[in-house]
Amino acid sequence: MSTQAPEAAQARVLAGRKVEQAGVLRGSGSRRARRRGAQVAGLVWLAPALFVLAVFVYWPLIENVAFSFLKWNIYNGEQTFVGLDNYANLASDPVFWRALGNNVWYAGLSIVFQVFGSLVLAAIVESLRNERWRKVFRGIYFIPSAISLTVAGLLFYFIYQPQTGLLNVFLQNLGLGQFSQAWLGRENTAIFAVIAMSQWQGFGYSVLLFSVALQRIPQELYEAAQLDGVGPVRRFFSLSAPLVREMTGLMVIVTISGAFQVFNEVMVMTSGGPNNASQVLGTWLYHAGFVTNDFGSAAAIGVAIFVITLVLAMAQLAYSRKRRVEW
Amino acid sequence: MNKIRTATAAGAGAMMLALSACSSGGTTQAADLSAKPDYSGNLSILTAGAGDPMSSYFENLVKDYEAQHAGVKITLTQETDDNAIKDKEKVLIGSQSLPDIYFSYAGNWGQNFADNGLAADLSSVIAPGTPWGSTFGVGSLDAFKYDGKYYGVPLYNDAKFMGYNKKIFSQLGLGVPKSFGELISDCSVIKKAGYTPIAFGNKDGWPGLHYLGQLLAYDVPASVRQSDLQPKTASYSDPGYVEGMKQFQQLVNSCTGDGSNSNGVAYTTAQQQQANGQAAMYYQELIEFDSVNTKGSELSKDGFGIFQLPAPDGAKGDAATLEAAPEGYMINNRSKNAALALDFLKFVTNQKNASTLSAPPYGQPSAVKGAVTPQNATPAVVDGTGMVNDAKSTVVWLDMANVPGVADAWVSASEGLVSGSLTPEAALKSVLQASQKAKP
Amino acid sequence: MVTLLRLGRGVRGAAVWALLLALLLVVLYPLVWMVGNALKTNAQVFNDPFGLPTSLLWPNFATAWNQGVGEFVLTSVSLTALATLATELISVWAAYGLTRVNIPLNRQLTVAVLAGLMLAPTVALVPLVKMFQGLGLYNTFLGLLCLYTAFRIPFTAFLMRAYMLDLPREVDEAAALDGASTAATFWRIILPMSTPIIAATVVLNVLQDWNEYLFAMVFTSGTGVETLPVGLADMMSKNGTQYPVVFAGMVMAALPMVILFFVCQRYFVRGLAGGVGK
Repeated sequence: MSTQAPEAAQARVLAGRKVEQAGVLRGSGSRRARRRGAQVAGLVWLAPALFVLAVFVYWPLIENVAFSFLKWNIYNGEQTFVGLDNYANLASDPVFWRALGNNVWYAGLSIVFQVFGSLVLAAIVESLRNERWRKVFRGIYFIPSAISLTVAGLLFYFIYQPQTGLLNVFLQNLGLGQFSQAWLGRENTAIFAVIAMSQWQGFGYSVLLFSVALQRIPQELYEAAQLDGVGPVRRFFSLSAPLVREMTGLMVIVTISGAFQVFNEVMVMTSGGPNNASQVLGTWLYHAGFVTNDFGSAAAIGVAIFVITLVLAMAQLAYSRKRRVEW
Repeated sequence: MNKIRTATAAGAGAMMLALSACSSGGTTQAADLSAKPDYSGNLSILTAGAGDPMSSYFENLVKDYEAQHAGVKITLTQETDDNAIKDKEKVLIGSQSLPDIYFSYAGNWGQNFADNGLAADLSSVIAPGTPWGSTFGVGSLDAFKYDGKYYGVPLYNDAKFMGYNKKIFSQLGLGVPKSFGELISDCSVIKKAGYTPIAFGNKDGWPGLHYLGQLLAYDVPASVRQSDLQPKTASYSDPGYVEGMKQFQQLVNSCTGDGSNSNGVAYTTAQQQQANGQAAMYYQELIEFDSVNTKGSELSKDGFGIFQLPAPDGAKGDAATLEAAPEGYMINNRSKNAALALDFLKFVTNQKNASTLSAPPYGQPSAVKGAVTPQNATPAVVDGTGMVNDAKSTVVWLDMANVPGVADAWVSASEGLVSGSLTPEAALKSVLQASQKAKP
Repeated sequence: MVTLLRLGRGVRGAAVWALLLALLLVVLYPLVWMVGNALKTNAQVFNDPFGLPTSLLWPNFATAWNQGVGEFVLTSVSLTALATLATELISVWAAYGLTRVNIPLNRQLTVAVLAGLMLAPTVALVPLVKMFQGLGLYNTFLGLLCLYTAFRIPFTAFLMRAYMLDLPREVDEAAALDGASTAATFWRIILPMSTPIIAATVVLNVLQDWNEYLFAMVFTSGTGVETLPVGLADMMSKNGTQYPVVFAGMVMAALPMVILFFVCQRYFVRGLAGGVGK
């Protein structure tokens, strides 16, 4: 990997898309119009990507929709068309709704902590005068994001152990022993224990991103505000927060769509238990397909996830379009 | 560049997929077991013996067999005895490519092979009373009996026993409890002495399921249980179910260290608690004995004994039944070399190889009568094997006995009963619902 | 008044530092504890999980390595390396084709390449399993390689396209005037000019592939092709686990990415910022 990046290019990337050259886009468009028809050979550059995506991404997606109308017996390979039965079963399945609810909790809490909490934290870190400390905090907060979810999940399994776990020992030492419990083994706490782990893992990532966005705000604005006697709290609300609101908006959308795709952390820590209390859509799909052999229902859950993420992605797209105009 | 090769492979594969989909409907000739094996050709085998130390057992057998029969070439595939073997078999089923000999659990897992024509009917050679069949315990053979026919060759026995710390029991003046009630009252004595009465970790759901399986067998008459196992005839109306679940909850609350928090504990932690001498008892499988009662552990110094979970007084079901299930092998009904496959399995289960299997380092109690002896196995394994062989009847694990959807409902029920979020009545209702959903 | 203000600022400053340092502790303590437990005996992990290790059992690492972590690492390293290479090549070609070569249906093709960004891999799970069973790719290294490559392309191509749109048009035109072919322009001019974004996406893809769990779990079943995350989870759930050995395995799984992050922090930041900020 090359570490010698041309400084100009580096600056351009870090400066963001301020100089989004709409002209280039338009220019290439008009050139295309001028020489239409003669460049089919150029498609060779795209062929590998299109082929791989078609085979492994788009075709399975289409097939999944078809599968959701079938019931099949894995032992003799028989497939029967059952119409909307799988969807009807899903709608009457309380665990499906609980899983969806857990995804919503996941999204909501992640927005509070990973987006807004991290924004505040990033502003605090960036307000430190010493560049070395800023680096230390940003760097160390990020470490959990670099370790795999499996490792984090196994680690927190030990932290949540009822008798010997770090959390309960800590609570007992604080004299709060009455709150100690089997965090992953209780139906009303399991999903929140998983979400908490996920915040631990992910907040450093958001802090890093917000730091980058905050660094793009011209320093003069802060200096001017300071000269006017504006305190740090007001500086945050009147300057930092509004100026990074594009990043905030995008982070909200990215976080929500991530929350509806959650799988690993739940699988590693609880497999959706106890008594399916911590199932999310992803693990419930896995469970339907690979534990109870009901591939038709699994496909129907897949369609549900697809519809939800598609709507969120559209929102993201609309949002970034709007932003492009603003910039 | 490697993408191009992938592309070709993908294209070719897609065609194969289409072809196999078209041809899978056809009927195939059933395997011919009566033919004389001609000791030539290929034999493919899938075992659940991967991992250390088990993997060398089958490797050695294959070597020996090939040495005896020069014309035979055996392809051996091994997976570990957990989700790995289940996943592998699902894949092979899906692609209609099961090998000549393959591993199977007893219960519904094996029944699916039998019902869908994937396993050869071995009744003519292995039914009790036949020369080969007489070498096995009847219970082990019956575990693979479906619709009156015998489909499996049991390799080793597994069963659930309460393992106890002899030193703690004698210190407190306790004997082996004779009834479920006595066990519960012993728990309070042990608890007062500062020990965890029973180590229990139900994070995976199945440890609780094993208690339920045994208790329900005590509380619900066998014929009722049998009819409830089939979604077609299931009603789950016997009061014994609720009774058994109440007993389970009672045990969790008065005997375990973590009580209703046990869903947050892994079973390996429970094993460790007994090995360390902190817990007086731990309900475990026969094949776990040697990994709990390890050399040099506190438990091995204190002394390790076992007893069958005692039945409640006045239970309406079968008080003598033991939760036990062998694991074994089946012959592919479409195998072209069925006679040879049969010959190989007879070789695997001859007295010498059965005895090797039961001895360290493998320590898997062979289903062959007389293969487990004090000379080759640890005392607890010998005891347990004796109790399995003496059992008047056995009952298969709840999650293996039921169809997948219902088995899953039982796992959830086990967790809900432990945490107290499900009453026995509600748990039974969810099982019944799953069973109705699974109706063909 | 001034002193009061200064005092107030001092209190606030102290509170800020307390918060930052507390979070530092929340992040670091579990990680240090993980390393500490990797050096303990099994009995100490159970009886005194939060004490300092009374022993320094470095052999736990060797045991973990021999119990399969070595194989998991080998699988993960080769899978990550090959998948990243394949993703980068295919994506950089696609980005080049979309931005610097005149092709028909440019807009539609851009959508076709980038739309994959919206898809959750779980959605395609069931059909992919069926497809791979049919192709004989199930439980193979090649199968995982295809999946890892394919599902990272939209994101990688998206970042590269954005970057290439910004490269000045004149360079291609100058190259064309010199008689260079499209391919020559790509290899000699555009590819070298794109090193910063390539470096950033490489770091991101390595991080993703190294930690991937869903596909690795569903598409492999034991023996031979288990990646590190799946292998560790397996080790943890198997009968008679030695927990210190699992901790040692966890440390070995986490360390490479943490080191990579600190060495390539600059590219991380750029890649991450690019991933969300554009």
